[in-house]
Amino acid sequence: MAEVDLSKKVADRYLKREVLGEGTYGVVYKAIDTKTGQTVAIKKIRLGKQKEGVNFTALREIKLLKELKSPHIIELIDAFPHKGNLHLVFEFMETDLETVIRNTNIFLSPADIKSYMQMTLKGLAFCHKKWVLHRDMKPNNLLIGSHGQLKLADFGLARIFGSPDRRFTHQVFARWYRAPELLFGAKQYGAGVDVWAAGCIFAELLNRRPFLQGSSDIDQLGKIFAAFGTATPSQWPDLAYLPDYVEYQYVAAPPLRSLFPSASDDALDLLSKMFTYDPKARITAQQALEHRYFSSAPLPTEPNKLPRPATKRASKASDFNPQEGPTVLSPPRKTRRVMPDREGFEGNANRTDKIEEHAGETKNADGEIAGRNEQVPTSVDFSIFAARPPSRPTINSADRSHLKRKLDLEFQHPE
Amino acid sequence: MAANFWTSSHYKQLLDQEDVDVAQPLDREKGITVEDYKLIKMQMSNYISKLAQHVKVRQRVVATAVTYMRRCYTRKSMTEYDPHLVAPTCLYLASKAEESTVQARLLVFYIKKIYSDEKYRYEVKDILEMEMKILEALNYYLVVFHPYRSLVQFLQDAGMNDINMTHLSWGILNDTYKMDLILVHPPHLIALACIYIASVYREKDNTAWFEELRVDMNVVKNISMEILDFYENQRLVSEERINAAFGKLALKT
Repeated sequence: MAEVDLSKKVADRYLKREVLGEGTYGVVYKAIDTKTGQTVAIKKIRLGKQKEGVNFTALREIKLLKELKSPHIIELIDAFPHKGNLHLVFEFMETDLETVIRNTNIFLSPADIKSYMQMTLKGLAFCHKKWVLHRDMKPNNLLIGSHGQLKLADFGLARIFGSPDRRFTHQVFARWYRAPELLFGAKQYGAGVDVWAAGCIFAELLNRRPFLQGSSDIDQLGKIFAAFGTATPSQWPDLAYLPDYVEYQYVAAPPLRSLFPSASDDALDLLSKMFTYDPKARITAQQALEHRYFSSAPLPTEPNKLPRPATKRASKASDFNPQEGPTVLSPPRKTRRVMPDREGFEGNANRTDKIEEHAGETKNADGEIAGRNEQVPTSVDFSIFAARPPSRPTINSADRSHLKRKLDLEFQHPE
Repeated sequence: MAANFWTSSHYKQLLDQEDVDVAQPLDREKGITVEDYKLIKMQMSNYISKLAQHVKVRQRVVATAVTYMRRCYTRKSMTEYDPHLVAPTCLYLASKAEESTVQARLLVFYIKKIYSDEKYRYEVKDILEMEMKILEALNYYLVVFHPYRSLVQFLQDAGMNDINMTHLSWGILNDTYKMDLILVHPPHLIALACIYIASVYREKDNTAWFEELRVDMNVVKNISMEILDFYENQRLVSEERINAAFGKLALKT
């Protein structure tokens, strides 16, 4: 096989196989650990061009993953320098939740959805117990192992939030998963941001498409308010004090049932608690796990019985060509998660269709950014430059400060 | 925070005093003793603080950098890991790990500005190369807990958070990084020892407050004694003794 030609010893212990794709900060290879016979994924971390040593994002990930050992968090098995580059060895994961959600050949039963949500929340509760915020929860970062177990991965944006008064950047998460407090520019936030994102993932599992697909930060809030009604100070007392607060025209919430026709009452109740506007009142990951949704019938599916994409080979180019803007469904903060090319064509075809519906806004805005610099978060809101619908005159002055703050972003380490 | 210290890698990595008080074989061959090690590490802690003042980073970054440096020498020799390079590299790495990055070229700029001595002369590429080696020496464990937060909380709880007591105990705490305490003891006990010394020094009676704490006061007293011994010895340390220790290393010629 062609793979044999690729095999190469990396630091003696690992037998390098094919390239899996481009991660956030370097190439990822599949490899065999000759010591254990285990298949692993090795991230080779590019050294920054700016002469800034070990990539900052990679360092964050190393720092946190060395502390976080749990069955629901990706395991960092080893790290070693080789030819001047740092290599991180992770356990090998077969697929990710985004691939599962997008694959139209897979039927997800209510019990399957419950199982995925339970594993997601267990991973999250573990992080929060250790005072770590993930800050980049999305289906694409929830990896699925060969026995169906789901694990949180990609801690490149994660932070320790122990100190009470530390101020953080609000430019975290892919936009569709961003909590309202972040969209309003909150700098002091907590574990609730991850819970909101987990709620979005829950919704995505139920409806099989991203729930709130905003094309800009302002639009994202619009989508949130259209779904749950405009936030009011009575629901969320701190609302008006958030840095980027702008008043939105009042809309009433449609019945939650109408958004999730297939969901059970318990599921709806949990959803509404995860989507509570006031972060202080929002359910915690641990409380969510104790919600009756998880103890009522049907019980969560055993991980090894969960449906998974058929393991057939498909064309390599389809999935992770970083330049291929349109095939990326999540806003491309980074190139696609590295997944073996086992995802069928159906998934991708489906993805292309979906994105075309939004091509007008999403693709243009995000494509432009991706073209300039892969590292730039999608949250830089270029749509602000475009003509605004005249219906929201209050936004202009706020936008300016918004934009200014954004241009002020923590671009710590462009590669 | 205390709740998760006990599950952290820092806690698991705490060492016994006798594992800290070692000179690596390669260094011993040169006649370097544990005492020389202590002097060199102290000198390098001072170097890190001085450099940190120029590049303006938080005390937390300094504390983490010193901890990295000290952990490094429980495993690696000074012959192979020149302290004059390890110190600024630890500051560089700690600045990243503590989310307040300082550029390597800025460090190099200030090193040249502060020290004319050739021994300190290293370039950006040396620091970056050493960074990788330090990461390996630390076994990639980067999270370090420090006593500063507990110190503030304890002082508040004891109603001793006046400026006077805070300054004194904070100052003592800074000085503990000239020793290896952070490698051996849980941070909150180090904080208590600093408060203990400060309250004795200021003649404040806090016995009742200390007794209410569920901690082993013998350990706190032992740490306090170590700190006092350090201050005592400090007066005997001369420039010559430090130079003699470095002389044995005879790194750059």
